Amino acid sequence: MLFSFDPRISRLELPESAPAPPDKAALDQFPTYEVFHQRKENSAYVYVGPVHAPEADVAFLFGKEQFSRRFPCTGMWVVPTEAIRVTEYGDDLQSVYDRLPLLPADTLAAPDAAGLEAYDIFHLKKRGKAHTHVGQVQAASPETALQAAKAAFGDQRPVVNVWVIRSADLLRSDEDDRDMWTTTPDKKYREAIAYKVQDRIDRFKQEG
Amino acid sequence: MDPTLDLLYRLADDQLILGHRNSEWNGLGPILEEDIAFSSMAQDKLGHSLQLYTLLHELGEAEPDTVAFTRNAPQFHCCQLTELPIGEYDFSLIRHFLFDHAELLRFEALADSSYEPLALVARKIKGELKYHVLHANTWVKRLGTATEEAITRMQAALEFTLPYALGIFETTAAEPEIISSGLFIGEEELQRRWEESIAKVLAQTALTLPDLRLLTPVTGGRHGQHTEHLQPLLDEMAEVFRLDPTADW
Repeated sequence: MLFSFDPRISRLELPESAPAPPDKAALDQFPTYEVFHQRKENSAYVYVGPVHAPEADVAFLFGKEQFSRRFPCTGMWVVPTEAIRVTEYGDDLQSVYDRLPLLPADTLAAPDAAGLEAYDIFHLKKRGKAHTHVGQVQAASPETALQAAKAAFGDQRPVVNVWVIRSADLLRSDEDDRDMWTTTPDKKYREAIAYKVQDRIDRFKQEG
Repeated sequence: MDPTLDLLYRLADDQLILGHRNSEWNGLGPILEEDIAFSSMAQDKLGHSLQLYTLLHELGEAEPDTVAFTRNAPQFHCCQLTELPIGEYDFSLIRHFLFDHAELLRFEALADSSYEPLALVARKIKGELKYHVLHANTWVKRLGTATEEAITRMQAALEFTLPYALGIFETTAAEPEIISSGLFIGEEELQRRWEESIAKVLAQTALTLPDLRLLTPVTGGRHGQHTEHLQPLLDEMAEVFRLDPTADW
């Protein structure tokens, strides 16, 4: 019988080793959404990680749980993973914008043309870091948005990778809900650092 | 009982018992992220109960751990809604929806309480409750407009749970003084706001809110009368504590 220090588990009278799980049908996962958070007021939104969810509203809930509880957070955006247009990766110290193929001039719409939409642009400055929001551009397609981003933000160095996201695809936290992010302070018990046991271990050893 | 103690015990016991109940979903949630979300909200509720038991301690009651872990069911003032077993996820979600709408409105009102220490705590925790309500609303809207099975199950859970939810608003002898002293707006006014608030969300779904006037509220919890489910919960919750009540954790 399986013994656990949690008496509730022991009471279940489970066998020592669990039986092999049954084969799952393929594709039982929800699609993924990518989450961006804002660590303090007026700072840029930074990519923080993915969640699985059936829709954006639910992804937002899960994003809040996964990514806003362990450090300060003042806002959150979520976007379906498949709505992110990703450039190729460049070398450190260079800019991936330099390697963009030039589109024919007539595909680049004039700034005041009709049919333009807002796109949000995110830069990865270094491999292993997180994509960070740099601003918005107006464009007619993700491809032309990237060209517009090059014009607006292309002087930044280094830029290892760029994400282009149609602004309408981003679900953003509500300004009216600011107080939702102020969770009850003094939650050190949620963090490993709060478990100070060395004193007790030393004492226990001495007693033993 | 003193009106402030009476009110605080009801608030704190609701949070502790529902927090413990909801923690039972830990590891069993329908998907990983939802498991984490539901468990985190359960932990929030335990945190809220600690803050409220601390207020009671400041008024001369026993230590929070003693109050939480050494009383028996008849000494608890939680409504019976909070002590029911977790059941299926439809029931747990509907209970979460009905309870947290009342909690958010309750603590928004308590932010203006004449008892300043309570008003301070209420201002701190209403932000968290806002998120709890957002979580509940999102699932109720999602499942309440999804497949026939989802709608049927959510409707059945709603009809089963509502009489217990009306028990949230059961009053005690201290009620007139609680209102006249400005401690709290009172259960009747809270219930009026709650009905408006849940109706607004349910109207966006295929679920039907029954006529609440035709339901008989399940009461007794505020006076220590509980279902057979509370004592086993308390025994389990305090099992480790009672091994050595003087242990230093």
